[in-house]
Amino acid sequence: MGAHLVRRYITEPDTEPDPRKKFEFDPEFGFDERKEREMVATQEQMNMAQVPVGQRDYCAHYLIKFMKCKRDNWPNIFACKHERHDWDYCQHQDYVMRMKEYERERRLQLRKKRTEAQAEAA
Amino acid sequence: MRASQSVREQQPVNMAGVGFRRWAQLLSERKGSGIPALFPGARAAAGLAKDGLPGSFPKTPEEKAAAAKKYNMRVEDYEPYPDNGEGFGDYPKLPDKSQQERDPWYQWDHPDLRRNWGEPMHWDFDMYIRNRVDTTPSPVQWSSACKQLFGFIGGALFLLYLGELFPSYHPVGPKQYPYNNLYLEKGGDPEKQPEEEVKNYEI
Repeated sequence: MGAHLVRRYITEPDTEPDPRKKFEFDPEFGFDERKEREMVATQEQMNMAQVPVGQRDYCAHYLIKFMKCKRDNWPNIFACKHERHDWDYCQHQDYVMRMKEYERERRLQLRKKRTEAQAEAA
Repeated sequence: MRASQSVREQQPVNMAGVGFRRWAQLLSERKGSGIPALFPGARAAAGLAKDGLPGSFPKTPEEKAAAAKKYNMRVEDYEPYPDNGEGFGDYPKLPDKSQQERDPWYQWDHPDLRRNWGEPMHWDFDMYIRNRVDTTPSPVQWSSACKQLFGFIGGALFLLYLGELFPSYHPVGPKQYPYNNLYLEKGGDPEKQPEEEVKNYEI
């Protein structure tokens, strides 16, 4: 907990990535072939379902199913636990991907610094 | 059973009915009719009666002594309000202290008001009763109260400033959104293409 903040502000301020800035490395770098993320819900579907802008992410199709289930089962608040779980799990996977992207950026920054130091020493 | 029945037979008249009849008679004896007849014809004179008002401002020592005696006070303690035409007369000027300041453990004649019988009453006594103005001195000094308050506010502002300089966040990348980072949904021009195409990849 908070190790990244210690690295960012105290021990390694030059290599720890700042998530507010754009990550600088090519997303394809180090991959043979990278699969693009697949968006299931179309813009029209999200408009029809009136999904809030902040929730129009890659899990929006699960959210639409969840909202529909809640609407159809009102006022039974215990009815849609499977739909809620599907959406939560999708959000969890999305968060794990963001963690991996951060770690990739951090390691690439460290690698860049290391190779530059080796080039200077040589 | 029998005794109570005989009592009931002796008093067959409903007493409430008698009261109502007397009241109705009183009403009918008075002049006028309708709702205004229900109210007293003459209004009560406003304010206090003459003997309830304070006397005139005492000028000689004898008058002062007489006034002090009237208000159950010692002559040394008696001091009237200044005579500048505000109508206080000889009413004593008592210290502006609330009843809350008085000793709660003393056996007051009226413990709720913390007042003894016959004690001179402050002109604004109704203002200084215990659930209104309280003149008890604060247990904390003004300077240290200011130091505590502004020290706390200043400390909080300083911590907020530190939080702006060094924000705390989770070690994750930015949230990814489809459709060119929701170009249209965030108010982009549908006639033009977004400046750069955003592609998000699985990892």
